[in-house]
Amino acid sequence: MRARLLAACLLAPALLLVIGILIVPLFFDLAMAARDPELRDALPRTATLLGEWDGRGLPGEAAFASTAEELSQAEQEQRIGALAQRLNFQRAGLRALLLKTARADLAPPYHETMPALDARWGDPTVWLVLREARGPLTPLYLLRALDLDLTPSGDVAPVPLDQAIFRNLFLRTLWMSVVTTLLCLLIGYPVAYTLTTLSPRWARIGIGLVLVPFWISILVRTTAWLILLQRQGPVNAALQGLGLTGGPVQLIFTRFAVYLAMVHVLLPFVVLPLYGVMRRIDPVYLRAAASLGAPGWMRFVNVYLPMTLPGVAAGALIAFMLSVGFYITPALVGGPADQMVSAFIASYANETLNWGMAAALAALLLAMTALVVGAARLVVLPMPRGVG
Amino acid sequence: MRLLPALAAALLIATPAFARDLTVIGFGGGFQDNARKDLFQAYAKESGQPVKDDVWNGEMAKVQSMVHAKDVEWDVVMVEAPELVRGCEDGLFDKMDWSIVTKAKFAPGGTSTCGAGAVGWGVALFYDQSRIAHGPANYQELWDLQKFPGKRLLRNGAKMTLEIALMADGVAKDDVYEVLATKEGQDRAFAALDRIKPQLMFWKSGAQPLQLVGSGDVAYAVGYVGRTANAVKDGGHYPLMWNTLLYSYDSWAVVKGSPNAAEGMKLIQYMTDPKPLTALAQDWAVSPATTVVANDPAVRAKNPAMVANHSDEGLFIDTEFWVEHGDDLEARFATWAAK
Repeated sequence: MRARLLAACLLAPALLLVIGILIVPLFFDLAMAARDPELRDALPRTATLLGEWDGRGLPGEAAFASTAEELSQAEQEQRIGALAQRLNFQRAGLRALLLKTARADLAPPYHETMPALDARWGDPTVWLVLREARGPLTPLYLLRALDLDLTPSGDVAPVPLDQAIFRNLFLRTLWMSVVTTLLCLLIGYPVAYTLTTLSPRWARIGIGLVLVPFWISILVRTTAWLILLQRQGPVNAALQGLGLTGGPVQLIFTRFAVYLAMVHVLLPFVVLPLYGVMRRIDPVYLRAAASLGAPGWMRFVNVYLPMTLPGVAAGALIAFMLSVGFYITPALVGGPADQMVSAFIASYANETLNWGMAAALAALLLAMTALVVGAARLVVLPMPRGVG
Repeated sequence: MRLLPALAAALLIATPAFARDLTVIGFGGGFQDNARKDLFQAYAKESGQPVKDDVWNGEMAKVQSMVHAKDVEWDVVMVEAPELVRGCEDGLFDKMDWSIVTKAKFAPGGTSTCGAGAVGWGVALFYDQSRIAHGPANYQELWDLQKFPGKRLLRNGAKMTLEIALMADGVAKDDVYEVLATKEGQDRAFAALDRIKPQLMFWKSGAQPLQLVGSGDVAYAVGYVGRTANAVKDGGHYPLMWNTLLYSYDSWAVVKGSPNAAEGMKLIQYMTDPKPLTALAQDWAVSPATTVVANDPAVRAKNPAMVANHSDEGLFIDTEFWVEHGDDLEARFATWAAK
């Protein structure tokens, strides 16, 4: 009992730290995907009045008046930008409408003067959009992140085809991460095995060679590929010199370049756990299998491979999770058809300041990754394993 | 005796943040290196107020988080026009104090509620003349894949690329934004881009056009004129097709909640005055928004690549249009580019 209490006390600070600086902020961040505070912050009275309206026809003169007054006040106090962006995101053109109304000098009766200023104020769907934006929560961002849209009547409809990008983006991110992970495993497994067969001095040098890339900035490593894969670069020159190609081949800004650069960056993450596991495999098991008559390939498949499975799982997990979050590498060496979700998350968070979309995409990415990792564990768990 | 170290410790912890130096933020590069000498440090010398400068790449999230957290570390920033407009509406930038900054000295379009015009910038079509003797002279020719074979490089985004597509399709310069505001116009722009898509590549960072044209990876590119003009000065052969110019103005703005706001306004007034700007124009090809300097024949002669020299040939990038339609069109462009 005392030992348990002691263990709990020793764990408590680390646990509190993880919860405090990781889980809680993450939760608040992802909650932004559903929050809808802009209308209520900019036009509080209007938000309440719209809540009391039943949504049929047009709202009363009180709602029109409150909208006109609060818009004008918000514009003067420089509080209108967030609301304008939120509404323009749901329906294009509303930003111009809001600003035009805020800057105009309107007089009562507003339910006549506002539509006279701009016909859209007489359109019930515009008011329904405003009403939809009043609530503390909204499904809009999560729906848009799945290429679905909210109609004014509250139904869900697919987004027009020429703007539907996110479903493909998620599938592409998933596919590219899986391919990168598999490539890393295919290349990293023999490398790790070779390291275990070397003498201690050469093994140290080998490990050093695997670790040296960690000391070089990822940006430098990625831009190095830009120079290597240019049309007049060394790779093209070598290919032409060897007679394999007639002229310079387009290597940079292709999917091939993205896979190359990503595998280059992620390989050490796969090699090191594999090496750690392989080192502890006692060769006596392989000799026992040989003495029982197993040929080389059977020794590998039935004895060696299952014993390295924990290392494979660890390396694959790290590589997969890292590549799902990559965006700098595809952005630098890939074409427009090679971009991953994280590039859009970064763009929404940094440039357009659309935190709702950034959070929604991040939440969906987290969910997708969790699903894939969970499914992988279900597959790997029942496999026979060895010690280590 | 224990009191003394305790007191010292308490003083250290309780020390309020010292008034920091006036901080001005730009986009970096050769412009900032020269501006540091001719604008920032010249102001520091004249006013006795130390000035620090740093770099950013226009990501508004940084300014937004500073203002919301009420921990503003930047005083004066150079912003592009759409970000200026949105930041002003969002309460991220202070309204310009026209009692300190003289409004009259700016060219039309060079001032706005929260910003004072700093420099003009532009993009135009160019190619490497040492590789290609005779390249396309306008956007219609750029779209001619038979007469001018090779890869084309445009900016990876809807802004500027859609206007170019419409102009290549035959829309007159003055009508571009009117047409682009309609659904048919937008469809027309994307259809035009589809025609050259097999030979089209995109750049994300400003250094890429010059780099890729120089290395021969692309044949023709639309890139920043400032950098290209400087490359020509350093001996490159990149003829700029000035009738393909698309240009805009960057502005100086004061971040809301900055403790040095008043001093920041004075710095902006200094940085847009004729004498410091003329000195800067001698060292770096800029196109100032201050009328007197932009019209100065000596400055114009020294910098033939100044945007102001060619603005009547070019298309002014409509800020309001992009603030309103930007989100939609960029989303559509991203979808189109990914196919």
